[in-house]
Amino acid sequence: MRAGAVRGSHLAWWLMAAPAVLLCIVFIWLPMLATLGLSVVDVNVLRGTAVWRGAAHYVETLANPDFHLALFNTAIYLAVLLPLQILVPLALAYALMHVAGRAVAAYRGALFLPAVLSFPIAAVAWLWMFHPVMGVLNAILSAFGGIPQRWLNDPSMAIYAICVVAFWKCFGLNLPIFAAALANVPEELRQAAALDGAGPLRRALHIDLPLISPALFFAGVTTLLLVLDEIVGAVDVLTEGGPFKTSTNLLYFMYERAFRHFQFGEAAAVATLILLLVALATWMQFRVFERRVHYG
Amino acid sequence: MSTTVETLVHPVALPRLRVRWGRWGLHATLAALSLLTLFPLFWMLRTAFTPHAEVFRATLAPFPANPTLANFPQAFALFPVADWFVNSIVVAVSCAAGKLIVAAPAAFAFARGRFPGRDAGFALVVGTMTVPYVITLIPTYMGVVRAGLYDTHLAVILPTVAHCGFACFFLRQAFRQLPAELFEAAAIDGAGPWRQFARIALPNVRAALAALFVLGFLSAWNLYLWPLLVLETPENKTLSIGLKLFATTGEQGGQWGPLMATAILGVAPVLILFLLAQKQIVSAFVTSGVR
Repeated sequence: MRAGAVRGSHLAWWLMAAPAVLLCIVFIWLPMLATLGLSVVDVNVLRGTAVWRGAAHYVETLANPDFHLALFNTAIYLAVLLPLQILVPLALAYALMHVAGRAVAAYRGALFLPAVLSFPIAAVAWLWMFHPVMGVLNAILSAFGGIPQRWLNDPSMAIYAICVVAFWKCFGLNLPIFAAALANVPEELRQAAALDGAGPLRRALHIDLPLISPALFFAGVTTLLLVLDEIVGAVDVLTEGGPFKTSTNLLYFMYERAFRHFQFGEAAAVATLILLLVALATWMQFRVFERRVHYG
Repeated sequence: MSTTVETLVHPVALPRLRVRWGRWGLHATLAALSLLTLFPLFWMLRTAFTPHAEVFRATLAPFPANPTLANFPQAFALFPVADWFVNSIVVAVSCAAGKLIVAAPAAFAFARGRFPGRDAGFALVVGTMTVPYVITLIPTYMGVVRAGLYDTHLAVILPTVAHCGFACFFLRQAFRQLPAELFEAAAIDGAGPWRQFARIALPNVRAALAALFVLGFLSAWNLYLWPLLVLETPENKTLSIGLKLFATTGEQGGQWGPLMATAILGVAPVLILFLLAQKQIVSAFVTSGVR
């Protein structure tokens, strides 16, 4: 009787957990394994057959000049966005900490607002501003006697233009994170340092910065994910990776291999490489920085 | 005595004038940067109410000389914008509600249940938070095509609902913070897991459920790559990917006013949610990390 009741409640618990567990298995874990599998075989969808290819897809991918370009561009996105995404919100969080009054809520709201928008909407707004003939950016440039630019149509400028859009859409996200971290720094520490004769800059560098480093590192990982993943919504709307593939990234390259050229094996290999990069970043977060990053 | 306290509280007692100027300078800088941040949205709004002929004059005038509403009907005539809007609402609400329906009972089981396989199940669900969805795209796409779900909204909703790892994690925390006595008393009265869940657990975590719903709605409203892959017919698209279709096919005709009008429809629900619950949204974004 008692054992039956326990088993009955086991069943109830299982039924509660089952949908979530099953959905995760069917839509995340199995597809992940399938991607790893696809990267080492050639699948014939029509015949339902698969031929073992070993590392061939990886070798082809690594030899593809477009892949090199995508990898290089991903590095550019990261090199531009990483410092911007950390330094600008940090400076703003500092500034917000030193002002008071009703206006502060308005500043916070305005600065955060783009973060809730979607990438395609952000991209469409900027697509119009970047317009070479009718866009407001060239109108402003001309008004100040500058030379109108081709922005997204300029191979040497397109990727930086996308960086601007991605930065505009995402910097606000780090603002409350940094603000919360700064608010958690004990005021006594700052005062003690001030009594020891440390000026504002030295206090910021030697007290605040080490104590909020977990938040900074978190922002770094978020930026990496932004560059590897979400930014594709801006790339696709603004340039479709062009001109001359100068603004692609790894995910866009994968998207094109899979859904424009239907090279699913190669695309799966690229997806696996992206997974490795993300895993590497996560591992660094836990291992290398765990020791250096100060958790107060 | 009081002066020492004063110096302790304000260790860098700058001359008053300098402090005041510095503060005004800070306010001015922040106000300027806030306006700069809002400018792209302002320009979108301005263009949406500017007549077609005027759009082609690249002026810096902040307001159109002859403001018009014509861009909105024009947008609806050019593309199935009304369908896109309805589709986006349906998909976003289904995804947000679906995530809660799946995650809430599971989170309760993981928080309060004692049953074999609980920890393994929890690991399987929460572990998905570390899996970038990129790695699942291709097989899920193939599966969707095989199952005959291609070009349906279900193809967008199902895999999105499956990404419920964060919701499970977040709700489990919320359930665990409720006092255990509540549930023990109910169990003595003969209430089984489902009744404890429905009568005690759910009503006590309303705030967490609301925050998750808003977060789920926003992230589904903003979905891009996955709907782009599985929705093909123009009438079936969501606003996010409809905008791309509009921007790339409408550009030749220079339909910028109607395009911006459509974009405003994409901003509006998000903006309303944001203005209603700014604090909750910001803190939900911060706790969830990214989306």
